[in-house]
Amino acid sequence: MTWLLALDHKRIGILYMLSALLFFLAGGMEAMVMRAQLAAPNLKLISPQIYNQMFTMHGTTMIFLVAMPVLTGFGVYLVPLMIGANQTALPRLGALSFWLQLLGGVLLYFSFATGSAPNAGWFSYAPLSEKPFSPGPGVDFWAFALLLIAAASIGAAINLIVTIATERAPGMTMRLVPLFVWMTFVASVMIVFALPALAAALVMLLSDRLLAAHFFDPAQGGAPLLWQHYFWIFGHPEVYIVVLPAFGMISEIIPVFSRKPIFGYPFVATSTVAIAFLSYGVWAHHMFAVALGRNFLAIFAAASMLIAVPTGMKIFSWIATMWGGSIRFTTAMLFAVAFLLEFTIGGLSGVAFATVPVDWQLTDTYFVVAHIHYVLFGGTVFALLAGVHYWFPKFSGRMLDEKLGHWSFWLVVLGFNTAVFVLHFLGLIGMPRRVYTYPDLPWYGALNLISTIGAAILVFGILLVCANVAMSLFFGAEAGDDPWNAWTLEWAAASPPLAQNFAEVPEVRSRRPLWDRKHPEAPDWMHV
Amino acid sequence: MRDRAQLGMAMLLISEAVFFFLLILACANFQALPRLYVFSGSILTALLLAGSVSMWRKWRWATVALGVVFLVGLVGTSFAMLTAVHGLFVLAGVIAIGVVPVSAIRTMALYWYFFTAVWVVIFVVARQL
Repeated sequence: MTWLLALDHKRIGILYMLSALLFFLAGGMEAMVMRAQLAAPNLKLISPQIYNQMFTMHGTTMIFLVAMPVLTGFGVYLVPLMIGANQTALPRLGALSFWLQLLGGVLLYFSFATGSAPNAGWFSYAPLSEKPFSPGPGVDFWAFALLLIAAASIGAAINLIVTIATERAPGMTMRLVPLFVWMTFVASVMIVFALPALAAALVMLLSDRLLAAHFFDPAQGGAPLLWQHYFWIFGHPEVYIVVLPAFGMISEIIPVFSRKPIFGYPFVATSTVAIAFLSYGVWAHHMFAVALGRNFLAIFAAASMLIAVPTGMKIFSWIATMWGGSIRFTTAMLFAVAFLLEFTIGGLSGVAFATVPVDWQLTDTYFVVAHIHYVLFGGTVFALLAGVHYWFPKFSGRMLDEKLGHWSFWLVVLGFNTAVFVLHFLGLIGMPRRVYTYPDLPWYGALNLISTIGAAILVFGILLVCANVAMSLFFGAEAGDDPWNAWTLEWAAASPPLAQNFAEVPEVRSRRPLWDRKHPEAPDWMHV
Repeated sequence: MRDRAQLGMAMLLISEAVFFFLLILACANFQALPRLYVFSGSILTALLLAGSVSMWRKWRWATVALGVVFLVGLVGTSFAMLTAVHGLFVLAGVIAIGVVPVSAIRTMALYWYFFTAVWVVIFVVARQL
């Protein structure tokens, strides 16, 4: 009962993470059903209708019920601790946002119980999502659930923005906040601007479906492309909304395990703001295959290539931080280093897609599936796994088992790359995405089988992470307050933190306040 | 505390501004704007403006009463998605103004001013196109 009425940011953060874990397992099962169906040509393990429901629910779940809430959970838990605050600024809004988010997830999955789960894809393009083509209630469930989740996400973002703006410890200017806080702040501002576009599109879709409006019905003067514009005005910033906080985690972990301060803090912070601005000017690169006009294509292609520059600055900054450092390859650091490689692969295929002829050739093939998974799994999930291994001692007061951690790391890396890298080749030889089976064409069966075997290895690796977490909660070694000899303020609090995070408000004079406290003879602020 | 709440409200209203901008843009483009007559539309506008004045004076119950009259009047107009969505936000505002503590009235005033402004934009655009 105390958890139901909880306002404490740490409890709300843990609730976000637990709900995201449950939905992650559900979304993972949906992926495995699809991979089993695609393991060999002409298989009919499930019906085409069920397959459509699986990929729709998998995409929707992983974006809206896993990536966004788990990052919000980390933000809600860690941001107050990192800025030296005892609570978020608007705790009731924080709690309301979590319960709305969960309600949205439950509503979405309730659609299975009605026998009519949504089946129009995670971006539900009109007119496929219109009543004549999707007559069941599945799309209605999807739209109502996403409206709830949009409201919840905006609420949580507002809470984080106000917390960072008003609750920082004395002396902690925005030039001194940890990079995870910076990136959570920018991602939250992006949510405030991006989610309303999705909400507006959903309101129009529901008006079409339930009130006989015609926004997306070309026969009545509507325009299906309007849905694509509004969805991707939300959708592309959304990619950065779920990647920037992950960048923030990497920016905390790599310096600690390299025993060096982050290289180029101002560049990492300002490139985050640049990404946020640019991300609102690239949405139409998701629409190159529709008739947009040559100038339009050129502008969006250029903007899409440009956004690689600030992203590349971060990659170089992390590499430069490691360069010459005294690197400790803990499991957290291994996942962080793997993140650099995996995300770069996804980023490079993204730049390829910014080239219009390449996009025309590869759109709606498995190359796109490979790209998005390298960005969102290779990027966000690898960073999250690094974050889990780094902050678990703070959350629980216990250490994760490093041996199990290393095993799970190698299984995840092997499984993920085996499952997803081959999808590039499948796309290049022309296999379209969202087909529930395929003919026995050269290489199709072999590459799909490899992918399915990789997915099974990946599942095993993820389950090993879960087992490590579960066992360490009870049998893990005592962590102490600062097991990594880290520098940010959350490590000054008890592990797990007490109801009141800090007995006295810490004063901050540099970007590494804990270093200053441990090394009064050579504090950072003397060099600033 | 007031600063935190007002900053939070400002963020919410920025979000709502984007939402209504995109909705009004789509409705204008597809000629799906509400049919508002000058007389009835002006009365509805006057009710919201009067509500804004009463919020400024911190007469919360006057604002609630004016909001209820506005909503009743809105039901009397021909149905349109845009005014219905706006009406839902006004309804939420009326309920919130009725239940929030006195210390939050200044913050709720921002909300009321904003939705008054949105209504004025809808009315003007609907009359122009």
